[in-house]
Amino acid sequence: MKIGVCIKQVPDTEARLRPSASGQWIDEEEIPFAINEGDEYAIEEAISIAEQTGGEVVVVTVGPERAREALRKALAVGAHRAVHLADEAYAGGDCWATARALAAVANRESFDLILTGSQSADVGFGTTGTLLASMLGWPHAWLVVGLEVADGSAKVTREMEAGKNELLQIGLPAVVEVQAGINKPRYASLKGIMQAKRKEVAELSPADLELDPSQVGAAGSRLEFLSVSVPPKGEGAQILEGDTAEVATQLVDKLRTEARVL
Amino acid sequence: MDFKADLRDLRFQLFDWLPMDELLATGGFGDWDRESLGMTLDEAYKIAQERLGPGNEEGDRTEAQLADGQVTLPESSHDGYRTVAEGGWIGCANSPEYSGLGMPHTVGTAATDLFAGANLSVTLVFLLTRGVGEIIERHGTDELRALFCERLYTGHWSGTMCLTEPHAGSDVGASTARAEPLGNGRYQVSGEKIFITFGEHDLTDNIVHAVLARLPDAPSGTRGLSLFVIPKVRVQADGSLGEPNDVRCASIEHKLGIHGSPTCSILFGSEGGCEGYLLGEPHGGMRVMFEMMNSARIEVGIQGTAVAAAAHQAALAYARERVQSRRWSDGRDADPVAIVEHPDVRRMLFTSDAFVQAMRALALKTSYCLDRSHVEEGEAAERYAAYVDILTPICKAWCSDWGFRVTEWCLQVYGGYGYSKDYPAEQYLRDIKITSIYEGTNGIQALDLVGRKLRRQADAVRQLLGEAAGTARGLASDPTLGPSARKLGQALEVLGRVLTETPGKDDGPLRLVLNAVPILDMLGHVLGGHHLLEQARIAGDRVREIVAAKGLEDGDADAYRELLQSDADAAFLHNKVQAAVHFAHRVLPQVEALAAPIEAGETAAIDAVL
Repeated sequence: MKIGVCIKQVPDTEARLRPSASGQWIDEEEIPFAINEGDEYAIEEAISIAEQTGGEVVVVTVGPERAREALRKALAVGAHRAVHLADEAYAGGDCWATARALAAVANRESFDLILTGSQSADVGFGTTGTLLASMLGWPHAWLVVGLEVADGSAKVTREMEAGKNELLQIGLPAVVEVQAGINKPRYASLKGIMQAKRKEVAELSPADLELDPSQVGAAGSRLEFLSVSVPPKGEGAQILEGDTAEVATQLVDKLRTEARVL
Repeated sequence: MDFKADLRDLRFQLFDWLPMDELLATGGFGDWDRESLGMTLDEAYKIAQERLGPGNEEGDRTEAQLADGQVTLPESSHDGYRTVAEGGWIGCANSPEYSGLGMPHTVGTAATDLFAGANLSVTLVFLLTRGVGEIIERHGTDELRALFCERLYTGHWSGTMCLTEPHAGSDVGASTARAEPLGNGRYQVSGEKIFITFGEHDLTDNIVHAVLARLPDAPSGTRGLSLFVIPKVRVQADGSLGEPNDVRCASIEHKLGIHGSPTCSILFGSEGGCEGYLLGEPHGGMRVMFEMMNSARIEVGIQGTAVAAAAHQAALAYARERVQSRRWSDGRDADPVAIVEHPDVRRMLFTSDAFVQAMRALALKTSYCLDRSHVEEGEAAERYAAYVDILTPICKAWCSDWGFRVTEWCLQVYGGYGYSKDYPAEQYLRDIKITSIYEGTNGIQALDLVGRKLRRQADAVRQLLGEAAGTARGLASDPTLGPSARKLGQALEVLGRVLTETPGKDDGPLRLVLNAVPILDMLGHVLGGHHLLEQARIAGDRVREIVAAKGLEDGDADAYRELLQSDADAAFLHNKVQAAVHFAHRVLPQVEALAAPIEAGETAAIDAVL
């Protein structure tokens, strides 16, 4: 079984973010980056499926040179090889353009299954996986908290609202977007870190994927970032004072008389 | 409270200050390179935060429990141990032939800085396990190496070092444990050893004790001690476990700190059935044990650094959140501010930070010299080995003593809450105290330094202090660091005078033994000041590069302040410079004060009636 895992390198959750000079994105200089949290679970899920089925795990990312570190980390925990779409042409792509590039990789690799996180921690659209599935014409499941793969199909548990789950059986190949918490991602062993250096990281240009540069990156996008800003500080906040019982009484009173929601 | 570490400083010291490329270029470390070593630090920090840190308080509160000769530890300790062992961290710097990972000790030291800061108690068993594996690898027969090394480096079994007996502590030569040859190449050992760290526990299936004991024809004193490898459970020829080996835990100590680390009294052969293997030559045990102790002493210096660093990070986080009292310069009706704004709190925090950085530098540099001594040849190897010889007691004692003081200053930052168990400050203070005591008390370290090392390694001392003098001279006219460099120059002058003149005095030997600890402190202070200034020079250059790259006008204070607010890396580098200035002005002048009684020949403690 050949499993593709689409990962994204995003600003570390502890990074202090500021809008860039153009105001259209954040200033990426001097901030730490990490593998998107949901994608870490996808990597773990893929590796454990491959361990059980004897398959191969290929991690794929679209991103600049720095994103190679994310691929190395995935290789260090056990992925077998990596595909890096680092060409300048891929830069600035929206979910659509990114999904198109990933779909071309999936066709080239003939994956049996694609795993990814349900959404990215930076823009958080949660649509790349869905678009990828539709471009490939594959079935797809989102917010997946349980996955069992056997005999050409997958039993998928999806998280619904109000604590309910949905159980689906979908045919392979498919795109499965996992939810954080589906498993316990392992640590890279020192041996794994050593071996990661010797594993293949293939850089593929749009031409390698038989794509025109106008189909990917900013040129192939349908969405444009107009501006990014820090939310303005709110005014008129009230701090209630007193012990817990007093504060609770005041709060209920305000919810009744001022907000009128009770 | 989550464990936090200054990973940025670890990286800076490892990769921007120490000549790591030179070390890797020697070819002694296989495929390890900057990128993969950097990745190991990230992974070590994750394990420290997620697997070792969470069990630190539980280990302290529940303590190791002894029942029916078995010691049990909480599940969180098992989880931390398993994760570290499975990741290959125990044998990270050991020989790949026995499943070690062959990375530089220097980076292993950095990992220990993270592990020990997160959970000192559990980290002790890694040190001992690795240490026993190393001496078996170097001195064991093929049989012993095959049976034990890999199982130790991979953490399947753990190790201990057994020196102390009830009447033989610092005076190891008074040991009475005995060993008789059994005729089959094995020995029957009997005796009681006390203060055995992780002497009994339930983390592994077997425990491999390295035990000093006396053969029948042995001379008295340390020259008659031989070293034996004694597994708790006998090991069969194929490495599988056999019968129990008459090794019994009689009791565990109830201690001030490191409650998660069982400190055991172990009875060997109380029923006449304890079999062991001789390691090395008959009567040559002390020499081999010293090899293990020397690496352990470096690691204890790292432990002091690590716990102090963790205490500092926790106190800093608290001070940033705790709001109390208005700013000293504000009007009477001003709002209260976070206590990190108060000058006295800042002083305590920043002195702690500067000491932690200096301690980390000393520990990493000692490990770096150890690596170079292994991979270089001829004169270079000897020179680095001499550096290790001289730096080891300073690393052990200076980092553990000043680490303890750092934990005290950090506790003080919390005020009354620091004294309560609701915050981790008091545990750090209790846990770190052992580091000035075990692996040879700091008094013993200082005597080793002034009695042996300063004489035997006089050239190496001159070279190390010569490097410091070079830094002082090189920075003397630097606009920012010049005054600090001159403080280093003055401290070096006083230290040089004490080292050259004291031995020649009529009462020179007395002055040296009486003042061994102050002399060790003088050396530690000077090396600390030297290392911080070297780092400040690099950091200062970087800050200037950032200022230039951002197009800020030289001397535009507002723009510079804004840069420090918005650019975390610039702030870090700026603080490196401040740390060197702080240390040079507040710690280096103490060298002269420490020298005063030595040069005056003051001996009141000897003359007093005690």
